[in-house]
Amino acid sequence: MNPVAIVGTGQTRHARARDDASQAELVREAAARALEDAAIEPRDIDAVVIANMELFEGRAWPELWVGEAAFAAGKPCVKVATGGTSGTSGCIAGIHQVASGLFDIVLVVGFEKHSEGHTQTGMTLTDPYWDRAVASGAVGNFALSVSQYMAERGTTERQAAQVAVKARRNAARNPYAHLQMPALTVEEVLASKPLAHPLRMLDMCPQSDGACAIVVASGTRARKLNPRPAWVRAAATRHEQPFIGDIERRLATMRTLREAAREAYAGAGIGNPLKELDVAEIYEPVSYAELAWYEALGFCEEGQAGRLIEEGVTEMGGELPVNPSGGVLSTNPVGASGVIRVAEAALQIHGRGGERQVDGVRTALATGYGVYAWADAIVLADRP
Amino acid sequence: MSAPVHVALEMDQSWRYAAPAAMARFCAGLKERRIEALRCGGCGRRYLPPRPVCGNCHLPLADWVPVADEGRLEAWTVVHVPILDPRTGRMREAPYGMGLVRLDGADTTLNHFLAQSDPARLAIGQRVRAVWREQLAGAIDDIRHFEVLA
Repeated sequence: MNPVAIVGTGQTRHARARDDASQAELVREAAARALEDAAIEPRDIDAVVIANMELFEGRAWPELWVGEAAFAAGKPCVKVATGGTSGTSGCIAGIHQVASGLFDIVLVVGFEKHSEGHTQTGMTLTDPYWDRAVASGAVGNFALSVSQYMAERGTTERQAAQVAVKARRNAARNPYAHLQMPALTVEEVLASKPLAHPLRMLDMCPQSDGACAIVVASGTRARKLNPRPAWVRAAATRHEQPFIGDIERRLATMRTLREAAREAYAGAGIGNPLKELDVAEIYEPVSYAELAWYEALGFCEEGQAGRLIEEGVTEMGGELPVNPSGGVLSTNPVGASGVIRVAEAALQIHGRGGERQVDGVRTALATGYGVYAWADAIVLADRP
Repeated sequence: MSAPVHVALEMDQSWRYAAPAAMARFCAGLKERRIEALRCGGCGRRYLPPRPVCGNCHLPLADWVPVADEGRLEAWTVVHVPILDPRTGRMREAPYGMGLVRLDGADTTLNHFLAQSDPARLAIGQRVRAVWREQLAGAIDDIRHFEVLA
């Protein structure tokens, strides 16, 4: 793979409803900020990747309607739509395009405007013979997996609530985040509205309006555009079998994320992720998922995830801060959420994290998670 | 700056999907309260729903095996929030129980409703049995839900 780096990032303010902006305007807001951050002009962009789940907004060909706002008119432009991984897969597509040598600069923009459509309808448009009659959406699906994970690992509702608190507290230091709750307590999470046993309202991610963009550059261009490029050390992606019942003990085994992480760590030369990563931005749509991902990503032995959150290992001041941005639990415009993970990991290496900057970040992980069917893992570093 | 303008649209749509051959045979079986899985000749995994190819071995599947309408509860939840019923477009009444059921004779699990919606009475490992509707239409919800066996 030719050297590739992320040299600029930009995102919108994320909120439950951005009535002040259309989909194209959100895309423009994020894209323009990414160009400004990378100090490049629209003419410098060779190709554009759009990430979006168009079923949620009920608007076909989003790459057509928003592409112009992402400076794509007259250029190669493709769309990636793989559920929650749309954003990370879009970033990997952009990385592959530059790594191939075909393009020097690719702009990746992810967006979602949940307030305009029917996310739940989009989520239920699954296999018409099997899943659709008995589907219970993202919350019901997660709750089923969580029941297995808790039974197997002995995870407590309190440990999950601690993850929910950490996310919203971190988000309070991120000016772009949707849910900023600096004083949220474990008790408040445990007292929030039951959604699907044992998941409560504050265990789940919100639905947000927002967009995020990154500028991916080839090695020679990257060195000129950013004093501390976030070099892509490895990027891996995995697909899964089609039905929820195909996957054995989903959260406990998490084959897609486990294997994507293994490949990415091997590519980046990482043997002990807890020690060798300085920060991680992981796609945790539900509090319990973050605990399961700690194990799948090798941050701890199986069954030790609860200890990690209890001991503050993944807090801002801990050994491996996880989601300084506040994560998906605080901000979730689906098509953008994966791009946000990569952008936040990159800006930690750029040293442009503001109040959410972790000191001395040299190596960062970003992950994506799409329903149960996809997972992505990307390792970024301050050296190629 | 002027106030935001929104365009509101409503639509009523219908869809029509062709069933894969294996699914068509499976659905025909449901009309006679018969459940069948496809077994992989490579790894031996018995798939519900039946499908053309084993995802692990990439071998074509052709070996039909019988599956009971009883099994083991592998995961459960009680959904408290009303969820859109994708087949009608109306909200489904809550609370209701959901489970992943491993039917005797299958290796994958079946995602379906549970008759029980009291969390205190549900546990992984319980034996459950299908409760069939009186009118069978050849669809997965010919099974109304699964009930927990004493």
